[in-house]
Amino acid sequence: MSTGEGARGNAEKYAKVDRDVLAAMKRPGRAYLAGLAFALLLAVVLHVLWAYQVRSGLGVVGKMHPVMWALYITNFVFWVGIAHSGTLISAVLFLFRARYRTSFNRAAEAMTVFALMVAGLFPLIHLGRSWVFYYLLPYPNQRQLWVNFRSPLVWDVFAVGTYFTVSLVFFYVGMIPDFAAAKQHVLGIRKKIYTALSLGWQGTQKEWRHYNMLYLFLAAFATPLVASVHSVVSWDFAMSIVPGWHTTIFAPYFVAGAILSGTAMVITLVVPMRKYLSLHDYITDGHFESIAKILLLTSLIVTYAYIVEFGLAWYGENIFERETFRYRLLGDYRYFTWTMLFCNSVVPLTLFARGLRRNTAYLFVVSILVNIGMWLERFVIIVTSLSHDYDPYAWGLYKPTFVCLGVDIGSFGLFFTLYLLFVKNLPVLSISEIKEHL
Amino acid sequence: MADRMVFDDREQFLEALRRLLREGVPGERIRVITPFCVPEVEEILPGTRSRVRFFALIGAAGGTVTGLAFTILTALSWPLVIGGKPVVSLPPFIIIAFALTILFGALSTFAGFLLLSRLPSLRGIRSEEEYGNAFVILVEEGERR
Repeated sequence: MSTGEGARGNAEKYAKVDRDVLAAMKRPGRAYLAGLAFALLLAVVLHVLWAYQVRSGLGVVGKMHPVMWALYITNFVFWVGIAHSGTLISAVLFLFRARYRTSFNRAAEAMTVFALMVAGLFPLIHLGRSWVFYYLLPYPNQRQLWVNFRSPLVWDVFAVGTYFTVSLVFFYVGMIPDFAAAKQHVLGIRKKIYTALSLGWQGTQKEWRHYNMLYLFLAAFATPLVASVHSVVSWDFAMSIVPGWHTTIFAPYFVAGAILSGTAMVITLVVPMRKYLSLHDYITDGHFESIAKILLLTSLIVTYAYIVEFGLAWYGENIFERETFRYRLLGDYRYFTWTMLFCNSVVPLTLFARGLRRNTAYLFVVSILVNIGMWLERFVIIVTSLSHDYDPYAWGLYKPTFVCLGVDIGSFGLFFTLYLLFVKNLPVLSISEIKEHL
Repeated sequence: MADRMVFDDREQFLEALRRLLREGVPGERIRVITPFCVPEVEEILPGTRSRVRFFALIGAAGGTVTGLAFTILTALSWPLVIGGKPVVSLPPFIIIAFALTILFGALSTFAGFLLLSRLPSLRGIRSEEEYGNAFVILVEEGERR
């Protein structure tokens, strides 16, 4: 009906968004297939080693007294932490009306869901008898026994379960209008799948009215989870009396660390994605700069938490606490602690330079280092405290076996497999939101 | 059969919508389909505020009550002192109640959205009409005032 130049320009802009975003779903290239095959191989390694562990018993993992929580719990905390910045970007930045979130939110939400799937595996693997995991759930039973709701491990089940469910709903709801847009550009079985997933969405004003209200409320429900879930995870440690764990700063300390690691993971995932899918028009260097600022801010908070932690140990006049922190910094695992401090506290400081915040290659390197640093942080917290607590008679060192390391590396494979499948099968950017802001 | 107007341009679409209302077509007879959310439509065609918010409230309140009731009643059903703590230890129970508040609130909001928007809609799924990026105004049959 319209004929004006401006109108045609706009229509062309909308069509370009469809084309560019949906181009990602075209037939994959060799590089993609090679990456997927490699990730899949690692995921298979995880499952094979898990099967081996189930068959042989937990002895093959190398968990020995006194370090009974080791790499598996390190990985659990790491992956739950990774999930957090997804919610921060999609929910918190939505409530703050930060426009740049549209560039990252879909990728970040996908990351949240997949990271939680991987995280959820670790307590099960760590259990040893994985098949009785349902003991953790409160279900009516003949003996009328219920779970102990005073235990942080049960809080974990509720916190992480809720987090996964809400994140999944949020992820899906964000995609409903995009499925409706995508189905118009594909054929065959894909069309059928997208049509079903779009639930018959048409885009009437009534649908949009309810949708906006839903999205707002989901963001509002998800926002407190950013703070609560990792707080609960931190209480797994803080509720005990182990020196180095038993401290009130753990909750905010863990939350800041979670957002730091998650933001780093978003950068790790989105830099190659933007390059491979040619999404430079939608994810600009300016957007990366904004994300880099979150990384810098959370790194400063984490550094502050490190200082407070050491400060409390020094000032607190508790010999066990003091010895634990001396051991952490100068003991058997010192290289890990130093690497952690370098990656989490020193490297991100370079992001005070604007030029470096806008340099995606540099950001990518920083993000990898922060990921390594944050993984080491969890390792250092868990292993140094356990291997060197109250009784010198019970001190001991922990050495992981190939099974444990293989499962850990395999978890990265599983995560990247899921992410790579997402990139080729679902709209990687929020099509309707981008058009709205054009 | 409804009158159908299709526009490529957002501004022209909004202009036409305003014109229709000026011409006296009642808002209830106008149906609008847009490829993305156009906030101006809400101003031009004011409807009632979405009732999805009540689902959020009821779900969240239900979650809090369920969380507290569940933890307290199961603890009382076998009153066993654990770690020297009271049988009804409210602080940890509040954590469970909080988690369920969020969980039930989010799920009930989603359910409310599906219910109020009449989704999944078989008509929408079967529909062959695809407007792409066009803005559509459908005016149901009826006498103009």
